[in-house]
Amino acid sequence: MSSKKNVYIVGIGIISPLGYGLDATEQALRKNESAIAPLHVFAIQQPPPLPVGQVQNLPDLTLPRTHGLAITAARQAMEGCTHPPDAVIIGSTTGGILTTEELLAAQDRDAHNYRYHGLTTVAEEVAREVQCSGQALTVSTACSSGTVAIGMALKMLQSGKAEWILAGGVDSLCHLTYFGFHSLQLVDPRGSRPFDTNRQGMSVAEGAAMLLLSTTKPQKPLGQILSCGLSCDAYHPASPHPEGKGASMAMQKALDNAAIKAEAIGYINLHGTGTPENDRAESKAVRSIFPQPPPLSSIKGATGHGLAASGAIEAAIAAICLQKGFVPANTGCRQPDPECQLTPLLQPADLPIATVLSNSLGFGGNNACLIIAQPDLFSSPDPAGQSRCLTLLGKACITGAGHTQQSMERFAQREPMAGVIDLETISEQLPVRKVRRLKRFSRIALGLADAARKDSGLDHSPHCVFMGSGWGSLSETYDFLDKLQQSQEQFPSPIDFVGSVHNSAAGQIAIMHEATGANITSSGGDYSFEQALLAADTFLDSDARSNSAFVLAADEAHSQFSPLFDPSIEPATPLADGGGCLYLCRQAMPGKLSLQLTFFRKKTTQVIDKLITASGGQETLQRNCRMILAGIPAAEAQEGQAQLDSFLEKSGLTIPVIHYREFTGEFASASAVAAVMAVHLMESSEIPAGGKILVLGLGENVTCMEFGRQ
Amino acid sequence: MDNLTEELKKRLIEILNLTDVTPEEFDENAQLVGGELGIDSIDVLEIVVMVEKDYGVVINNKEIAEKVFSSLSSLADYIRKNSPK
Repeated sequence: MSSKKNVYIVGIGIISPLGYGLDATEQALRKNESAIAPLHVFAIQQPPPLPVGQVQNLPDLTLPRTHGLAITAARQAMEGCTHPPDAVIIGSTTGGILTTEELLAAQDRDAHNYRYHGLTTVAEEVAREVQCSGQALTVSTACSSGTVAIGMALKMLQSGKAEWILAGGVDSLCHLTYFGFHSLQLVDPRGSRPFDTNRQGMSVAEGAAMLLLSTTKPQKPLGQILSCGLSCDAYHPASPHPEGKGASMAMQKALDNAAIKAEAIGYINLHGTGTPENDRAESKAVRSIFPQPPPLSSIKGATGHGLAASGAIEAAIAAICLQKGFVPANTGCRQPDPECQLTPLLQPADLPIATVLSNSLGFGGNNACLIIAQPDLFSSPDPAGQSRCLTLLGKACITGAGHTQQSMERFAQREPMAGVIDLETISEQLPVRKVRRLKRFSRIALGLADAARKDSGLDHSPHCVFMGSGWGSLSETYDFLDKLQQSQEQFPSPIDFVGSVHNSAAGQIAIMHEATGANITSSGGDYSFEQALLAADTFLDSDARSNSAFVLAADEAHSQFSPLFDPSIEPATPLADGGGCLYLCRQAMPGKLSLQLTFFRKKTTQVIDKLITASGGQETLQRNCRMILAGIPAAEAQEGQAQLDSFLEKSGLTIPVIHYREFTGEFASASAVAAVMAVHLMESSEIPAGGKILVLGLGENVTCMEFGRQ
Repeated sequence: MDNLTEELKKRLIEILNLTDVTPEEFDENAQLVGGELGIDSIDVLEIVVMVEKDYGVVINNKEIAEKVFSSLSSLADYIRKNSPK
């Protein structure tokens, strides 16, 4: 086995209610005291404040709080490292929402002030801080986001796509999560006490942790990430599977991917939120894999639940366990719940540890587990040689013109399909009862997946879902905050909170299609579909259980939010929305269409040269490429056009260029519709045999998707 | 049939978006949660919010909630008995 693909932890940044940095965190954990205290980060109208986990003395960075937490952790992680990482991957659910909430309350209508609202801006600001010109990626899988980000970094490093990646998770406290979890009656008024008989729920918290990971072994590695296991419950939007089915699947996958047995795990860092349901389901899952569990604990009684940050914080704490031969206690648990049949550590213990399993189980049933070990104790298994090809099995789009057929008929006539389609048309193929709680965004996503499956002609759905969205569930987010404000913070809607979570749509797709494999929601502004495709390309392998996926992106237009958030939408811009979905399989099928994401980088002076190199050079481009679909967001009109001109000039290509936003209208996921347009063109007689279509994303990032026939 | 029961039927259809159910079809004595309408724990929480907001009646105890939400009539009874008027 090659040790070349071992992935080492080179640096760690951690900020939580326990303090700043590894030493402070370790000291706090050794004291076994809870840092959970009444909320004071923002003022509330209805006292008393609930107990939360909050970060003290965050330096003022003039950016929203989430960004501040992320950048502070990134600086710590990069300390002593002289070169920038190849990519940044951030797990987050809150983005700039705390700032947005304050602006909305003050009735501020200046779109410029909302420029940090988007989830993607956190990764972008971190990338700027650490001078990364590669990919700045965002995953948003609720409470497993940080773990998924690290898992994605692991896979990208193992496959050789990158050598250095800064990955982690971050979330700040905000009204949405504070009142949202409270509305679900999931908050323990006495503070979280995971696995205690009398536990009543979680404590919402905040924090950030970033891990600098590399396949190049540093002098003093802080640990080695062995494997990651992902699964989806495909059961319920906000409750775990009662038997912990998804959680045990994710743990087993992590063990399988590390090629180690359960007995090799020295300590389990439990997700353990303190809600009766989570702890019960997780216990069952743990016992199903570990008949005699190793020492285990949840630290959320000390830190609270840092949501997207929690998995990254706990990965950092796993490194402390390995380094210091110390395992933290299950703070807050006095009397372990006999129903759970687990005995968490009631006191911290000095214990030499070789391997840690860290669990993160999120809303939407998005589960992720990491195995972190002493460096070089195990070698990462060589990734099996696999086809780079993603074969297209089905496609669908929704635009202002309607479903796929109506949209493509318009496009064939080269007429615009832009607009805001009515909810009834979107929902016409969806079961009324099952979608009654879902608003526009989730219904578009469900409609796309359903139509792509039907288009494939297959009677089975894929196992995995990779979904992108620039802005997520705007209707639910708006309605939740609106009702909260209208009722003086007394009556937030639990249904809207559940729907507002970024990954709710992908979770719904999983439920409807029984897709229990990896389920990742990405967010990357105008490059959200490309980010979803990158995630799919990273996680789909040749294994029959994980080789097929819905890869989709969608966005909904919202009359209030879209003009405030999306810089390409001016007050006078006609609203448009929709999305596209491809049913893809990691398997070569001669004669079928396939696609590859060949390029994804931030804009730099050299970016077009690099794009041409990545596309095989001038000669290859001229030989194969027959058409370009170019995506230039309105806010990037000049920059994007200059990039396109430069590409055409340097490649010497004189082929038709279609500016796809002229047809789709302005919305973040327009490139997903462009992907379906490319497939439509490939299937028509417009592209000669052997010819390829490039779908270019231009502006802040430069991306390239290549469509061809195998 | 009393007014409160009728009113609750309309409110539930509205807040839970039960677009394919009419108040006439809504059986106030049928099992409310986990029954034919597909009402689950999240819906119950939404109803809890509505009942507190519109009728000033707080339901924050799991044991009570289980009884109250057994049917729409029991919910109406509970509101009637506990309403601050």
